[in-house]
Amino acid sequence: MIAVPLNAFLVVSALLFAIGLYVALAERTAVMVLMGIETILNAVGLNIVAFWRYVQPGDYSGQIFAIIIITIGAIEMAVGLGIMMLLYRRRQTVQVDKYDSLRG
Amino acid sequence: MELAPAAQIFAFAVLAIIAVAGALGMATTMSMFRSGIFLMASFIGVAGLFILLMADLLGMLQIMMYIGGMLVMILFMVLFSDDPGGQMMVGMMKRGTMKMSRIEMLFSRGISPDRGSENMGGEGHMEHGEMSGMSMFTPIKKQAAVLALLAAALLIGLILARPAWPVVDRLPDQNSPGQIGTLLMGKYMIAFEGAGLLILLGIFASVMISRPAEYPDPSDRERLQAAVAENPAPVEPDTIQPILELEPREEDKA
Repeated sequence: MIAVPLNAFLVVSALLFAIGLYVALAERTAVMVLMGIETILNAVGLNIVAFWRYVQPGDYSGQIFAIIIITIGAIEMAVGLGIMMLLYRRRQTVQVDKYDSLRG
Repeated sequence: MELAPAAQIFAFAVLAIIAVAGALGMATTMSMFRSGIFLMASFIGVAGLFILLMADLLGMLQIMMYIGGMLVMILFMVLFSDDPGGQMMVGMMKRGTMKMSRIEMLFSRGISPDRGSENMGGEGHMEHGEMSGMSMFTPIKKQAAVLALLAAALLIGLILARPAWPVVDRLPDQNSPGQIGTLLMGKYMIAFEGAGLLILLGIFASVMISRPAEYPDPSDRERLQAAVAENPAPVEPDTIQPILELEPREEDKA
């Protein structure tokens, strides 16, 4: 039996999620917003793996979910980099609140 | 095989502190480059927690994918930013045009401030509105911090108030890569193939998005080629003299 309680992992994950939320909302640079989203995805992965280990250690489906999440994170990062480079070339800025041409 | 309970708690404490403190440093430091490095520390902490939870394949994947792949992308993207080292922000704080909270000062320690008016094109005095336009934070930074604190408090409260989870006292299989591989190739085949297709589409999308919008006119290229063929640029002669004769070595003489 693992000595650390499940709630300890969930609390760490909740803290990571909150920090990621703050970064994604408060920072203006596209890179930092992506970093916040990566932190949120990391928190989700930690949650899933903790639940797998404590509640259902015989079924490895939880880890498959975590692998899919890592894959999605990688794709999101690559597409985000592409979009950011395009917008930088068009607007000469990386600050996300300058990209407001779709505002009504 | 499991570690002794005391060692487990110690490892959990160290790794959790690395993960959370890394994320906190990422969120609060003024230097974007430092943010990337702090994010790496946070990823390493989470990878260690994965290994502590006996998901060793995921821990390795975390280090390889996030630190080997994504962090390189992040540090590449940091190159595009106006103020990657945070000198401008720290300089603004030193001149009193911007306030920094205590935790931001802690994680931004040692960043040398810029000279101020010199870097701003000698304008010297700036309006307050322009100053906040140069900040790396959105105007809703305070509300975002309050919202994040509320979210953390709510989540932790829910976790602690909930009745205990149905925890099973059982060790997972030691051969977790084998189990995951069997599942990926069997039960979750569709998800696996779908992820592969998604990666392919992602590669296409990012190449399509980030390609240059306009290519130079090919007729212009032909004209330039003809001009170069007509009047080639003079080739600079190499100033280093080639070694024509090698001195015979001692053993060759003997």
